[in-house]
Amino acid sequence: MRNKNRSKLDRGRTFRPGSAFLLAAAGLILGAAALYAAVGCDLNDPDRDVKRLFPESTGYKTLYVSITKRGGEELLGKIEARLGDTFKGLFETADVPYTMYEIYKGADLVGYIHGVNQKGTYGGLQVFLALDLRGVIRGFYFQKLTSRAAKAFRDPAFGSQFLGLSLEDFYRYDVVTGKEDPAGPVSRIKNSDPAFEQDFRAALRATKKNLVLVDEFLLGNPHLKFFKG
Amino acid sequence: MKKISIFEVAYKNLLRKKTRSLLTILGIAMAAWVLVSLFGFNKGYETSLNKDIDNLGFQMLVVAKGCPYEAATLMLKGGTGLKYMKEEIASAVAAEPEVEGVTAMLMQVVFDPNKGESGGISAFLGVDPASFPRLKSALPFKSGGWFREPEAAEAVFGYEVAELEQREVGDLYLIPEKEVEVKVVGILERTGTQDDGTIFLPIRTVQRVFAVPGELTAIGIKVKKEADIKAFEDKMYKLPDVQVVSLTQVKTTIMTLVSTARVMVFSIALIAILIAMMGVINTVLMSVMERRQEIGILKSMGAMALDVFKLVWLETIILCVGGGLIGTALALLTARLTDLLVRNLLPYSPSGGLVAIDVKLVLMTLGVVTAIGLASGIYPSWKAARMRPLDTIRSEGES
Repeated sequence: MRNKNRSKLDRGRTFRPGSAFLLAAAGLILGAAALYAAVGCDLNDPDRDVKRLFPESTGYKTLYVSITKRGGEELLGKIEARLGDTFKGLFETADVPYTMYEIYKGADLVGYIHGVNQKGTYGGLQVFLALDLRGVIRGFYFQKLTSRAAKAFRDPAFGSQFLGLSLEDFYRYDVVTGKEDPAGPVSRIKNSDPAFEQDFRAALRATKKNLVLVDEFLLGNPHLKFFKG
Repeated sequence: MKKISIFEVAYKNLLRKKTRSLLTILGIAMAAWVLVSLFGFNKGYETSLNKDIDNLGFQMLVVAKGCPYEAATLMLKGGTGLKYMKEEIASAVAAEPEVEGVTAMLMQVVFDPNKGESGGISAFLGVDPASFPRLKSALPFKSGGWFREPEAAEAVFGYEVAELEQREVGDLYLIPEKEVEVKVVGILERTGTQDDGTIFLPIRTVQRVFAVPGELTAIGIKVKKEADIKAFEDKMYKLPDVQVVSLTQVKTTIMTLVSTARVMVFSIALIAILIAMMGVINTVLMSVMERRQEIGILKSMGAMALDVFKLVWLETIILCVGGGLIGTALALLTARLTDLLVRNLLPYSPSGGLVAIDVKLVLMTLGVVTAIGLASGIYPSWKAARMRPLDTIRSEGES
């Protein structure tokens, strides 16, 4: 059998793929090689990213939570109220699994990292925040950003405007109207490319949603007292 | 006076040595469990594989020579080095009498610097809006539908890529690097296949946007049911500068590999059954030897050899059928777990359930286990039946 195949290959007329090729082809054709990984909002490279955002860290713990598991519809209602907007669309639902990272220095907890997906004008945004133990932002970045203004929004100068802010500051920001009343620190965040206001607002909504979720799931709601629903 | 059935006598005899009977039943149950799970896997795997292949919509894929499959190139070369073939080949293939339908495809990839920290590739599959949906009719939509025009600036998203890009029907999407906007007109349901991560665009749009007019990367072929697929494959192999991936071959190769593994596991199952059989023979034989005097008395009271044979044989059958029922129930309860375990062990698993247990399989297993019981019970029953009453009573007195 082997000789037969070889002679056909030698003649160059036909190509009979071997088992290895067929298996590889099977995997590729039938689905083992999806070009996109399963969707969640995980850090692309947790070891590298944690060290970059918390250089002093020595380790981290990964937690998986969802609104459905922690409190269902009732909790979803509370979170939507704190966000100031309802969860929308096919993919912003109560059963979305959130991956949250607790960051440790030795045995001591030193902070948190969490990312959320947000719909942008041309595609999805993944907004990650690094937070201290009080829920104050110490790092902001887009892990993924599909936008014509991607370069401007990815500029470190844009992300640095979020540093030092917490959910207390974002409560005054209305994610639906894009206004802060009265004007405060969120109003001072400048849109790097005013032509793409929708993506700018998406980034602010993602940040507020991220902060609400961290407050609810990790911090034990210390910022709830500032919420004037 | 209440008349007691032979079944009750056999059942009560087994209850006299509860632990021994229970362990024997468990031995049989384990063997039945393995048997049901294996046959269930055999059926489930093949069914799921067939379903995956049917869902592809075509049984054969023709690709440009030097590129076994475009996705392989994507991964190995980071999105460069795609091989092309001319559109005319699709027309030539379509003219073959064995062909029911063909669909031309053009895959393109771009590097998206904003995908992840260090960028990533985005893949686009250009498909013909007339033929592709017809061949892939099994592809379910979560919302929307296929684009209608071959040059429309529209896209259909696989489920996972839609989730990643947070796209819904009516949204815009920007093709990275090319800065071209397309409108999302359909989102597919999750299929567990490569389609989940694919962005489908009309083929002419892909040719125009990526500046590769008249080029294809693959042709999907659906062969007529009555056609000789093998002969047609041979004909396709003769086409110049193309390679053929036959899904019939893919399936045969996978099933051959799975069968090899299955023969090994069946051998283990056979050994487990033989051990269980020996356990049953041992248990019943011990029980018979312990009850020599009783059997002797039964016979002296008028029981015939056939009555004793039936009694002991029935005990064996109760043990085996009991074990068979427990084993089958265990297999049904752990089917999902077995599925997960096998899925982790195999290099490739189809998307559907890998373990399919149906009524026919359950009945077959119970039949096999009962047959084992019948066979195992013959010797102890025969031994008990041929005991002579005087000998048994005398030997009991001597001991």
